[in-house]
Amino acid sequence: MAGMTTNKTGVTMNKPGVNRSLFKRIGKLAVWPVCMVCVLSSFLAKEKGGETGHPPGLGGTTDDHALRPAGYDGYGAEASGALFPYKAAGLTERQAAAHLLDRFTFGATPGQVGEVVKEGLEKWFYQQLRADNPDDSLHQLLSGYDALSLSNEEIIKTFLKGGQVLRMAVRDGLIDKDSVDKGDKKQYRAQLEDYMRQKGIKPEKELFRQFVNQKILRAAYTQNQLQEVLTDFWFNHFNVSITKNDCSQFIPAYERDVIRPNALGRFEGLLLATAKSPAMLFYLDNFSSTGRNTNFAGKPFGNGGKQGQGLNENYAREVMELHTLGVDGGYSQTDVTQVARVLTGWTVYPMGEYGNGARKLVETMGEDRLKLGGFVHEGDFLFAPNRHDNGEKTIMGKTFSAGGGYEEGVDLLKMLAHHPSTAKFIARKIAVRFVGDDPPQSLVDKMAKTFMDKDGDIRQVLLTIVGSREFWSREALREKIKSPFELAISSVRGLGASITMPYPLYTWITKMGQKIYYYQAPTGFPDKGQYWINTGSLLSRMNFGLALASGRIPGIAFSLAALNNHHEPESTGAALVTYCRLLMPERDLTATIRRLTPLLNDPALEKKVGDASGKSGASGTGQDGLATQNIGADQNMEATKGMDASRNAGAALGMDGMQNRQTAQNRQRQDPQTRRSLQRNGPDQGPGSELGDGTMMEYEKEPLVQPATAVSNSPLLSQVVGIIIGSPEFQRR
Amino acid sequence: MATRRGFLKAGGLALFGISIGGVPGFVARAAGSVKSTGLYKKGKVLICIFQRGAMDGLMAVTPLTDPYLQAARPTLFMSAAKNSTNSPKGSPLIDLDGRFGLHPAMKSFEPLFRDKRLAIVHGIGSPNNTRSHFDAQDYMESGTPFSKGTPSGWLNRAIGLLGHDASPFRAVSLTPSMPRSFYGDNPTVAIGDLQDFAIQMKGNPLAANMAARSFEDLYDQASSDLLKDTGKESFDAVKMLQKMDTHNYRPENGAVYPFSPLGNALKQIAQLIKMDVGLEVAFAESTGWDTHFNQGTESGVFARSASDLSNSMAAFWADMEAFQDSVTVMTMTEFGRTVKQNGTGGTDHGRGSCNFILGNGVNGGIVHGELRELAVENLEDGRDLPVTTDFRSVFSEVADRHLQISDDTVLFPGWQGKKIGTMRS
Repeated sequence: MAGMTTNKTGVTMNKPGVNRSLFKRIGKLAVWPVCMVCVLSSFLAKEKGGETGHPPGLGGTTDDHALRPAGYDGYGAEASGALFPYKAAGLTERQAAAHLLDRFTFGATPGQVGEVVKEGLEKWFYQQLRADNPDDSLHQLLSGYDALSLSNEEIIKTFLKGGQVLRMAVRDGLIDKDSVDKGDKKQYRAQLEDYMRQKGIKPEKELFRQFVNQKILRAAYTQNQLQEVLTDFWFNHFNVSITKNDCSQFIPAYERDVIRPNALGRFEGLLLATAKSPAMLFYLDNFSSTGRNTNFAGKPFGNGGKQGQGLNENYAREVMELHTLGVDGGYSQTDVTQVARVLTGWTVYPMGEYGNGARKLVETMGEDRLKLGGFVHEGDFLFAPNRHDNGEKTIMGKTFSAGGGYEEGVDLLKMLAHHPSTAKFIARKIAVRFVGDDPPQSLVDKMAKTFMDKDGDIRQVLLTIVGSREFWSREALREKIKSPFELAISSVRGLGASITMPYPLYTWITKMGQKIYYYQAPTGFPDKGQYWINTGSLLSRMNFGLALASGRIPGIAFSLAALNNHHEPESTGAALVTYCRLLMPERDLTATIRRLTPLLNDPALEKKVGDASGKSGASGTGQDGLATQNIGADQNMEATKGMDASRNAGAALGMDGMQNRQTAQNRQRQDPQTRRSLQRNGPDQGPGSELGDGTMMEYEKEPLVQPATAVSNSPLLSQVVGIIIGSPEFQRR
Repeated sequence: MATRRGFLKAGGLALFGISIGGVPGFVARAAGSVKSTGLYKKGKVLICIFQRGAMDGLMAVTPLTDPYLQAARPTLFMSAAKNSTNSPKGSPLIDLDGRFGLHPAMKSFEPLFRDKRLAIVHGIGSPNNTRSHFDAQDYMESGTPFSKGTPSGWLNRAIGLLGHDASPFRAVSLTPSMPRSFYGDNPTVAIGDLQDFAIQMKGNPLAANMAARSFEDLYDQASSDLLKDTGKESFDAVKMLQKMDTHNYRPENGAVYPFSPLGNALKQIAQLIKMDVGLEVAFAESTGWDTHFNQGTESGVFARSASDLSNSMAAFWADMEAFQDSVTVMTMTEFGRTVKQNGTGGTDHGRGSCNFILGNGVNGGIVHGELRELAVENLEDGRDLPVTTDFRSVFSEVADRHLQISDDTVLFPGWQGKKIGTMRS
């Protein structure tokens, strides 16, 4: 493993000049009792891993295959000019390009099918594998989010949970402990807000808001779509969850430094990086796992703590069952215990206010003495040999002899990363994501072989997919159901929309059944259509289409006329055909169009829709439970009510008369209100957080990147497009 | 997918207006009344309420005669005696049986307990001694206290064991996102508010009708079976719910639901039950139990949550008068809290807590379980009420007696414990 500054200094504790009692104290302090309120946070300084740079020190990110190779070499297929075998499957080049975009991006943007054809499908794909397209405009969009570039240590100093703030405020005497949850709530909140301002503290919620927003913006706008799709895939594979307070603050850096830079690398690098990340160490409790033969075994932690010290098998089990071998991968419960023993002492470097004591000790010793003592400190990761079970272990027939220290953990993870069961398990999972819920075994076998032959190189496995007949077969086309996130992002991309406020989209994605970053179980979201589609979520998808197309989701602007190059469709029927083709390029749309045409030719239609736009807010019938999301929509409707409802439907589609500056002004005016509604819809703090919603008013400011486009779309056209987005065909990719 | 067909077969739904352009569905709604759809026969319904944050079981149901509790909780202790030092106003605790006192904010539980409809299990909890909210909730909801990777929740597995045709409303969680208990392969619905179960166009029912008609047609023709079948179910469900008007709903029997998320959730569950839409398992959440700071006694943080929980459940029970034989309500919480109060007038994360089970089949009027004196040597790790009843013992008994689900190897794999008689045999 090049790039992992592994420590070869051995593990014995008997190095001269090393203060052993100091080690003991560090060992004790290196485990923080982590209860939601008494979050004794921990951990370590790490240099910022910027937007594109490789993070230092987290291991596995810069191995001998550079993440982004400079040339085309290394990909035999491209060098030899081999073409993807879609023609043999009977696809046209445009159909193939559309399929490629459906699977390896978050959806085609207007005209993108043509662009990919022009560039060449293969060339486009290799470029995506390199993931080095400039992303200046995305970075511009993200520049207003100050939390995104912070290190874990900076994050835990800045973004605190309610309970943490409360404890600090009580300790500093700013709030009397007897007044907590008593008396005048308003005054008490104001006091807390004041305190936070003084201290430069922001609520953790704000961190998650920025984090969620960046995910939406990246997915919608990065030019390196494949990297982002894979970031999503691997995050879900190595899932961690904001619902677990212990790890929540570390999740933004986890995605940024651990997942994204490794998403197109080698599997081994990904596995090692996740194993050593604070997010995973806390999420699956390995940070607290202690060897039986150490001083720390079996001792209950002090008052208020949660972890009795000792062996914790959670990570050991899941790293085999979920991350590598798969549940039938050939390991036993004994192996789980042995793996847990190997990984004892893998913990998090002390950081943050509550880690001060341990941090001071560590710093007093200095890195050299740490090394001498067998400690390994890389970034946020710490291997503490005094917590490690030093005995011999045997795992799946392989013996790890006594005294293996940190290195035996690395060896073990490498062994798991390259195991044939892992190759099969990962190959199938990737195939499920990119090919179909039940991918052909022949393809999975080929991918697994590539995985083994090419040292777990993820790019090579992807090349095996696009080089296969199975991927291009008719059975594979449109076979996947979009996740709610994919549905939302593909809609935005398909409409060429600009997002000035991403959070309302997140609210909708949650409503449709995918609360991203909050999936509780280490399995991650199930990747199958049946999971996403149920009666409730399907209705939400339809309502999402209608809300988005009619401009009722704040912070998203688009022009339907511009989408069609300002060509006015001649009739409702023509509009239907036009927008179906724009939003679902190269699909067979005859069924969709045939079913919708009679409805759109309903003579009463244009009156209904016209009435609709004129009657906003007139009937509070309980039909609409989305009031909080609809702020702004009323105004929007008002602005267009001058439309002459008696004109025929075709004429009503003309856009020119309807551009209306007042709409834009209304949108601007609505912003503060919208923001308050966003705040109400903000991410949960999880169970048990003590601070309510009232603590974050001033952090609500969205970086307003560009003013909302001053366009109001024709109500009838919006309705047509809303129905297309909610249609069964658009749910597929 | 086989379990979904029943609903489609049931079919036969009259057109409720939504598919007739121009006739708004809401016209069909009578003023606040709830009518059965007649589609499903009345079945049993299990309603689970998760008390997130870990309820202090010792404050909810206090061992009155314990000689150690008062010393451990100098400012939190209440007694059943009139005019005690801490409660000059009078007798806070409600003496249930000479041994246990119910928190005064839970007074609406008292008649249910006296009437033997309400059972309490004390010392209930998980065999896994984690004191992390996340882990403990995860283990309790997956039903596998030592395995994190269990992909499904115990209630989802319960649904799978019901073994008969299903309605789209068979399992409904009145929460904004899917609870861990519902994760799994059997179809479940999580919805914050049943009002969202409609095609929505702000203030514009005509356009909504038109869109609904279009969607209904499109999904009817979808080439993907999953989308086609679910689409049909969705629209049938919408039509069913059009009979329901949550704003004007009038609970029966003088029931008054608290104006709270839990009260609202139980109210909507009651409506679903009355409509016979095939509900069998429902889920709701109660919050505010993580009382590290100034927990209070008769009033305060704990009392607020306690009163919301008990008043919501009591209102539901009253509202359900005609259906009481069909419903059982069970609460659960991830763990209890420290026996000793902490330095900020609250309690920290502990082990055993108590739970409440309400229904006609419940072995009520009894505080079940085992609670030893709170001497330090009897406590887990010297600090916490020990877990004397495995939560799976109670959950599996309730599922067995109420829903006739007896396959514990599926419901709680790896568990082979005994049941303790919380339900009448």
